[in-house]
Amino acid sequence: MKSANHSRLGRSWLPAHILVWLYAVLLVVPLYYFVASAFKTNEEIFASPFALPSSFGLGNFGTAFHSADLGLAVVNSALVTVFSLVLTLALSIPAAFALARSTGRLASLVESVFSLGFLIPTFAALFPTFLLAAATGLFHTRTFMILFLPATAMPLSVVILVQFMRTVPREMEEAARMDGASTFAVLRHVYTPMCLPGIATVLLLNFLTFWNEYLYSLVIIGPDPAQRTVQVALPTLKSITGTDYGVLTAGTVLTLVPVWIVYTVLQKRMQQALVSGAVKM
Amino acid sequence: MRSVPSTMSRRGFLAAGGGLAAASALSGCSALAATDDDPGTLVVHSQLGTTAPGSPTYLSALDRFRMENPGLKVRNLVNGDDLAQVYETSRLARKEPDVVMVNLYDKTLAWTDVGATVDVKGYLDDWGLRKRVLPVALNAWTDGKGRVRAFPYFATNWPVAYNRALLDKAGVDRVPATGDELIAAAGKLRRKGIAPVTVGGNDWTGQKLLAQIIQTFLTEDEARHVYVTGDFGGRGARQGLEYFVELRDAGVFADKAQGLTSDSMTTQFNTQAAAMQSAMSSALAKVPAEVARHTDVGGWPLAPGTAHDKPTILRTYTLIGFWISPNGTKKIDAVEKFLRFMYRPDTVSRFIKEAGRDMALRSDTVSSDFPLVAAAQRLGGDVSQVLLPDLFVPPAATQPLITATSTSFTRGTSAAKVRSVLEAAYRGA
Repeated sequence: MKSANHSRLGRSWLPAHILVWLYAVLLVVPLYYFVASAFKTNEEIFASPFALPSSFGLGNFGTAFHSADLGLAVVNSALVTVFSLVLTLALSIPAAFALARSTGRLASLVESVFSLGFLIPTFAALFPTFLLAAATGLFHTRTFMILFLPATAMPLSVVILVQFMRTVPREMEEAARMDGASTFAVLRHVYTPMCLPGIATVLLLNFLTFWNEYLYSLVIIGPDPAQRTVQVALPTLKSITGTDYGVLTAGTVLTLVPVWIVYTVLQKRMQQALVSGAVKM
Repeated sequence: MRSVPSTMSRRGFLAAGGGLAAASALSGCSALAATDDDPGTLVVHSQLGTTAPGSPTYLSALDRFRMENPGLKVRNLVNGDDLAQVYETSRLARKEPDVVMVNLYDKTLAWTDVGATVDVKGYLDDWGLRKRVLPVALNAWTDGKGRVRAFPYFATNWPVAYNRALLDKAGVDRVPATGDELIAAAGKLRRKGIAPVTVGGNDWTGQKLLAQIIQTFLTEDEARHVYVTGDFGGRGARQGLEYFVELRDAGVFADKAQGLTSDSMTTQFNTQAAAMQSAMSSALAKVPAEVARHTDVGGWPLAPGTAHDKPTILRTYTLIGFWISPNGTKKIDAVEKFLRFMYRPDTVSRFIKEAGRDMALRSDTVSSDFPLVAAAQRLGGDVSQVLLPDLFVPPAATQPLITATSTSFTRGTSAAKVRSVLEAAYRGA
């Protein structure tokens, strides 16, 4: 009886299994093509794109790293990304805290203003941003990007964090107040720990956006190897007359390593934070 | 909450430490100080420096220049296709580099007119460098008002490469010289499973080959008129379009040529999947030795009634030149040293010998390690030359023309339709 049930259950789950495997294949095949190409020559990539590389030598990686000066570019990207993330959190957490605790019309208006930020298309802001960078004397500096990126991230960050902070019971704050906690202490010791899942989400989303940002980094920071980010350095491996795709994909793999590391770490933290948040509540 | 103050102070201390570290990292990396304005540094913006042909030679030459001029710093900024856009933005902020190394093409055609770069005619004469430049190159870099847009440097031959071994294998006993011979050869090659002419029908390589074939029935003056005005309705242009369509529909071009790019083109030729390609010198320099050994270079086959007496090739002297920016004029002594060095015969020879580049300057050096490049240089009067349209197409029509190219290479598109899309590219400009 048990085995009949099991087999019926197995059959009914068959379509789901097929779909899951299909989905996995859809994700893995491009990834395999991408990584395998990093070990191949142009001829191998075009002649037999899905074949295993004939050798696993790291020549393409070395060429990409040295030709495009990727080491320095990764450091620049890390600087811009980390400082932008710190600034984003430093601004969005207090803003979300204030909005989540306020009930007045002004608060809902301010919250709507933050949401309106989503409506500004990236390209539309490029020229005014360029003018601002030139006027402030921060054109061709990473500092401008460190100030600018958090501004672009505020709408999403505030909207996400406000929703998380609204789930914190008022009683938690009242208890803290009775113990003599100041407003900052309430934010620091009540709201922030309880909103770690939201903060981790904001960190992860913004890390990906900041790290992969290309257009503004190209125009504002410029092509100087001492300052350019990895997304600006990478396309220099593309040549108008004959790109070496093995080298280009190897360079791309190198620049994705920090993304994979951060994604893996933050994903785990996000899950941990979700569980601990649930227990606390 | 009693524990709060102690936690606060510990974490506050950590936060303060982090802040200090951040501040020192930022200041250490000179984030607040843009280095564009350093008067002791010559800033060169180039497409050379990573994997573009000639980059290792260029970087090595820069090192030599630095050694010879210890008091002068040189900073090399590298961009690929986006160089023109990045330069223009820098110029708007008045923080442009001093020297720009880029082709005369598309956006750069307007630079001298709008003051993004300066007329270098006076410098060319004052520094005595005019005599180093091939007259034809100087002519190409001179605009309608007599201004020399930049110091010419790289040139290129753009012949057709024929893989003789593949032609032999297919039973084609000689390099096709006429359209009929080309169509017959294409049929034989296809029967052996070999693609005949490979071309990037989806990018600039296709655009250039299309322009070359259209000019089969055009004199130089007529071709110039066609590409300046975008009027493909004249008799010669219409005949050229019909010739192109005839070749295309007879299967002369590789399958799905409308979707191919320059990269797929060179790969198909270099892996011997295709027997012919129209390739500039930098692509010829990359043909593997085992393929180059049995490859001939020549012109594009002609049709009856052609305006040319020999198969045609493209040839241009407007690849990378040295443009001087308004900022560069403020450091003109440094720019002069740099230009004199780059124009020196030994530096020029290195680009020919080490990188297989064709130069717009006088030189007796022949590229011995790049046999196909050398063979293309020797073609001389064995071929007829047609115009490279780059100098005549209005900048705003350049990209639409490339888009129209893809339609042109799509089988079944009539000559009238090809004409219509080409003319539409100009109308939108």
